[in-house]
Amino acid sequence: MTTPASIPIAFASLAALSCLAGWTARSPAAHAADASDKAAFVPPPESAIPQGKFGDEVRLGEKIFREPGTHASAYVGNDLRCSNCHLDAGRLAGSAPMWGAYVTYPAYQAKNGHVNSFEERLQGCFRYSMNGKVPPLGDPVLVALESYSFFLAKGLPTDEAPPGRGFPALPKPDTKPDYDRGAQVYADHCAACHGGDGLGQSADGKVVFPPLWGPRSYNWGAGMGSIKNAAEFIHANMPLGMGGSLTPQQAWDVATYVDSQVRPQDPRFTGSVAETRAKFHDNANSMYGQTVNGAVLGDPASTPPAGTVPAAAEQGK
Amino acid sequence: MNTVRIIRMDAVQSPAHSRMMMRCEAMDRLARNRPQRALRTGRFIVMRSLLCAFVIQAAGPARADDKAATIGATIAVQGASRDRPACAACHGVDGAGQPDVGIPRLAGLHASYIADQLGYFASGKRRNPIMSPYAEALTPDQRRAVADYFAGLPIPAPVDAVSAPPAQLERGRALFQRGDAQTKLIACTQCHGPNGVGVGSFTPRLAGQSGPYIADQLHRWRDGDPRDPRGSYMQAIAARLSSDDIEALAAYAASLDPKPGGSQRSADR
Repeated sequence: MTTPASIPIAFASLAALSCLAGWTARSPAAHAADASDKAAFVPPPESAIPQGKFGDEVRLGEKIFREPGTHASAYVGNDLRCSNCHLDAGRLAGSAPMWGAYVTYPAYQAKNGHVNSFEERLQGCFRYSMNGKVPPLGDPVLVALESYSFFLAKGLPTDEAPPGRGFPALPKPDTKPDYDRGAQVYADHCAACHGGDGLGQSADGKVVFPPLWGPRSYNWGAGMGSIKNAAEFIHANMPLGMGGSLTPQQAWDVATYVDSQVRPQDPRFTGSVAETRAKFHDNANSMYGQTVNGAVLGDPASTPPAGTVPAAAEQGK
Repeated sequence: MNTVRIIRMDAVQSPAHSRMMMRCEAMDRLARNRPQRALRTGRFIVMRSLLCAFVIQAAGPARADDKAATIGATIAVQGASRDRPACAACHGVDGAGQPDVGIPRLAGLHASYIADQLGYFASGKRRNPIMSPYAEALTPDQRRAVADYFAGLPIPAPVDAVSAPPAQLERGRALFQRGDAQTKLIACTQCHGPNGVGVGSFTPRLAGQSGPYIADQLHRWRDGDPRDPRGSYMQAIAARLSSDDIEALAAYAASLDPKPGGSQRSADR
């Protein structure tokens, strides 16, 4: 892994979903690894949501967060929910809780080379993790999500990474992460929920266990496409309710397996896989452009398109 | 009289069932003073079971083109053999169960889920002194057939259970929908789906299931009873629940509309 373990994982916090290895938020002081040792912040209960216009925004924000495909359909291009990775609707420490993200913005982002507002950071989630379209700044969807995050962070100081933010740091693997070992971990610990084919499971037409790859999952630009981020998330949170039950090596292996599958194109695709890798994926945490099972990951011939918002949803927005 | 005998047998085995039985007896005492609530008494269970048995005899085997379906229906309503009551004696001809005393609804559960559980009862992987002899007496094909039968029944209208206090329902709703950041509890919906509809054979439909049944199962998970071997998840979850949490979750789940795509009932706004 090219990313030294000493680099704070604060950047991952913003980001279960959309941060690439290049995203770096400030506030590197606190390692989320400490989250399990220190008492994490507890966000206010739902009953604390005020009445009135602001409370309405908070409630709408939580609805979008839980069911973006229903309440923000114009911007969502896959079957994921925000709450698939930000567990317990963005409340749970160690799974990139929204209260932890909220207090560290505005922040400089190396990914786009300027200081980003929280809203702009949310745009990245739609572009990459949701494989959708970017809501314009000030869009009601972003205002609602920002209101919800603000509500959850009530009482936290700004510009300090609180314990429980992001994903807990994970030690480097003892041996080089391995696709085949990862496949075995996947079969033993993940397939019951996510399916042997990685396409997830639905109930009554609603996705419950999210697809981890394929055309309805996150695209190559998403934070989960980084093996390091995925390994940290998996180790801390998977299988659900049994965080910490896999060894770090198992987490690295299975993250490598999941992030070596076919998924939608990086929306920054330049027209050349090699060039796109060189510009955006030139690190050991990305399998983009690598050959796996005889095929080049990201090859347009076998890669679903980026930004697949249904035309009907776009018109109806 | 089978139902009562069976329940009492189990009461010896399980503290959770003892609680349930005490609740039955309490309701029985209540019913003596308040005849209008006799529907919830243990005494009524006996009458209801006898009535069921009568209905079962009268109904005869269900008509079905498919042989397996006929087998499933026959086992469900007539029993696999003469010396054993039919599934329907406790779970009802309509598969509604007896929610007030913790006998679960089977109608509309996933067929593979029911078949899997029967398999675990038979092998002892899931320990239950009532169900094990029934499951052991069936072949895997028969278990599958009877599972298909109950899975295919329409979900009956939920029995109007004794309504839980609003504060308890609110606590249940918070845990069910949002988990608990303090104890790192995962929300039930993360696995059981929006409003507890359940996912395939893996996570059962909780919406509208018997509250006493759900509470009993959560206690069993927490106590480390032998269970569905895939259920290590539930053991980890239940370990984070207090007994009050369990009661609240059970009351809330029972209040949810069990029908697919159904709107939530009064407990949820």
